[in-house]
Amino acid sequence: MIVEPGEIHGLVGENGSGKSTLVKILSGYHTPDNGGSLAIDGEPIALPVRPGTMRRLGLSVVHQDLGLIDSFSVLENLRIGLFGVRRFSRAIPWSRERELARSALAALGADIDPDARVAELSIAQRAEVAIARALQYHEPGRGFVMFDESTRALPLKARRHFHSLVRDFVALGGSVLLVSHQLEEVLEHTDRLTVLRDGRVVGSGLRTDELSEHELIRLMLGRELKRSSQRPEATKRGESPAAEIQGLSGDLVKDVSVSVAVGEIVGVTGLLGSGFEELPYLIAGAHRAAGGVARVGEQEFNLRESSLRALLAAGVALVPERRERDGLAFSESVLDNLTLPRLRGRGGIGPLKRSWERDEAGRVVRELDIRPPNVHMPVKALSGGNQQKVLLGKWLYGRPKLLLLHEPTQGVDVGARAELERAIRGAAANGSGVILAGMDASELAALCDRVLVLREGRIASELRGALAPERIIDAVYLEGREGVIP
Amino acid sequence: MSVRVPQGEQGSATPRRLPTGGRLGPTAAKLSERYAIVALWGVMIAVYSVLEPSTFDTSGTFQTIFGSQAALVFLSMAFLTTVIVGEFVDLSVASVLGLCATIVPVLAVLDHVNVALASVIAVAVGVFAGAVNGFLVVYVGVNTIVVTLGMSTLLSGIALAIAHLSAVSGLSASFGQLALANVGGLPISFFYGLALALAFAYLLAFTPLGRHMQFVGANREVSRLAGVRVDLIRFGAFVAAGALCGIGGVVVSAGLGGFDPSTSITYLLPTVSAVFLGTAVVRPGRFNPVGTLIALYFLATGILGLEELGFAGWISDVFYGAALVVAVTLTTLLRKRAAP
Repeated sequence: MIVEPGEIHGLVGENGSGKSTLVKILSGYHTPDNGGSLAIDGEPIALPVRPGTMRRLGLSVVHQDLGLIDSFSVLENLRIGLFGVRRFSRAIPWSRERELARSALAALGADIDPDARVAELSIAQRAEVAIARALQYHEPGRGFVMFDESTRALPLKARRHFHSLVRDFVALGGSVLLVSHQLEEVLEHTDRLTVLRDGRVVGSGLRTDELSEHELIRLMLGRELKRSSQRPEATKRGESPAAEIQGLSGDLVKDVSVSVAVGEIVGVTGLLGSGFEELPYLIAGAHRAAGGVARVGEQEFNLRESSLRALLAAGVALVPERRERDGLAFSESVLDNLTLPRLRGRGGIGPLKRSWERDEAGRVVRELDIRPPNVHMPVKALSGGNQQKVLLGKWLYGRPKLLLLHEPTQGVDVGARAELERAIRGAAANGSGVILAGMDASELAALCDRVLVLREGRIASELRGALAPERIIDAVYLEGREGVIP
Repeated sequence: MSVRVPQGEQGSATPRRLPTGGRLGPTAAKLSERYAIVALWGVMIAVYSVLEPSTFDTSGTFQTIFGSQAALVFLSMAFLTTVIVGEFVDLSVASVLGLCATIVPVLAVLDHVNVALASVIAVAVGVFAGAVNGFLVVYVGVNTIVVTLGMSTLLSGIALAIAHLSAVSGLSASFGQLALANVGGLPISFFYGLALALAFAYLLAFTPLGRHMQFVGANREVSRLAGVRVDLIRFGAFVAAGALCGIGGVVVSAGLGGFDPSTSITYLLPTVSAVFLGTAVVRPGRFNPVGTLIALYFLATGILGLEELGFAGWISDVFYGAALVVAVTLTTLLRKRAAP
């Protein structure tokens, strides 16, 4: 695999195909097996890569989700690992460090106070800090920077800015490896591509402008992917509402009302901070709402006081975004994770109890095609896509009346995504009302019956009828389109 | 710049262990990993028997090993309840047990309270101490180590005060039967410990509460979102730990006919060692009651054998201390192995 100077090279592949492993080898985190070699700007490098070598040759990484520590200052985040020391006191010479940080930021044209805490920065500014950190010791015209899913959390505007900064860097002769799940992003912003499948290179140095998304997917999966862009017409939607939420308010959301019919999938989207991302947690009772009423089936809940447990008992299931933090206990087995919500009151002795668990887990594993199909493995041993299937399966099996999803396919490869989308449609067909909060326009278009776009905590528009991703993107990012668009 | 990695080599930097494969190989490997300590125990007994045939290889030795650990069994089970729900680590267990074991003879012998009532009061004090720990850690949110370290010293001090700085003895022999009654050649307190460990293992393996406890230990937010009463379970674990220390204290004072409060803190390290070493047995990488029990008797055997070989006094400190370091290292390595 060769990355040319002045090039943005994309690296794509399914989950578990070895992208992250490759990046980790190149950044010195893993020691590779014998037999590989690495050279930067013609100079061969001993593996494993050492931090000093990385600095000298201008090899650096921007990690997933930028890898900044919120509670530290911009300066500390930028210079960590590189701090100089005074000769006698061995203390950090802050004034000099501040100068270095300032010049690193200035090189990107970023106007950020080095003493600001990262937590106070906008998302676009965070991206600038992360890039400045990766580029600070690069000489112009040399060096190699890897971006490992760095843009996942960035909203569109910040993402555009990010890509223009990357462009500027390669224009000077540096080279960039862009690792991403977002095929559109890769196709739009890279010059050439390398595709990994099962740890092997299946396509190397492919010119991006000669590739279509379709061909790329075929290369990644080694097979054709059928992704129905429309819901099957056969899904019959009941007229009765599965759930009605009225006057919901929280930290971001202000007075939002949503009604979901049985069998309906309602999308909720907007910019980060518009409140769409808060909605599922408020409805589930996971975050305390400032006000609002939820009617689920026959029961009515005042969301300011109702406990999560009461809503759960009434049939409200929440699939949270952050799988590792909120979704699954990674050290526990697939089986234990899958059956956790339905354990209560099922105590018993020995084989009797184990049998329903095994049946249930076995069915989820089969239906969602969780691989490897071993329910006794700890969840952390699975790939991201399969973990996400476990998370969804955990809640789907209880046949919830109202299923709340937050970015249910984030960080998941195309193959697993198709399975997950099929499962979500299946849940709706089985009588759940579904609310899907997310920013992925093509996913919303593929799954939802209608999409609500939030702006500043309120519903700004409601999209019905044929939903094309472009329509959703327009409604989210373009101001001044209010009301129902037919 | 160029990056050249030969075909087929990229993925092998982190070899993924597949669950499939030879039937016998992995199973045998698993078994040997799970019961390595038991095998080592057997080797140890064999070595001691050869070295010290006159003293070690007698039924008296085995009675000492299995009959003398009641306090540590109760303590390690108490310690385990909080460790399993993710509290790291309750340092107060030994002092709670010591205080309860002191209260019984102080009330019964010095203050002439009915010994049954004294026992009930002792257990109640244990429960209360656990509840204070739990309240501060769970509902106020104070760091576990800080709270329990403080409580540990505080309660030791109280125990010394009520015992007037000395050992209290004089409990009746009939009360002693509570711990010492002979059942099949061993004191009944051994069977209390065995029953306790088995009941705990059952709770963890077969009941929803046990599973919930393990999930609370693994990930609180995941448990909360699944409708588990996380704080109640954490608080309950501290209270249960206090109750176990209370009962353990009563049994210990009955067995000894009294208690010396200045010794209570010496129970802490063996407890922690056994609990951590227990993660190497039965369910590798996990805290589990049966493994803890096995580890406890394994350690007791090692020390007794060394003492009979003539290493006196200091040997138990060295042995338990070394065991703790080895055990924690082992736990860490086993956990890493569990995650490819």
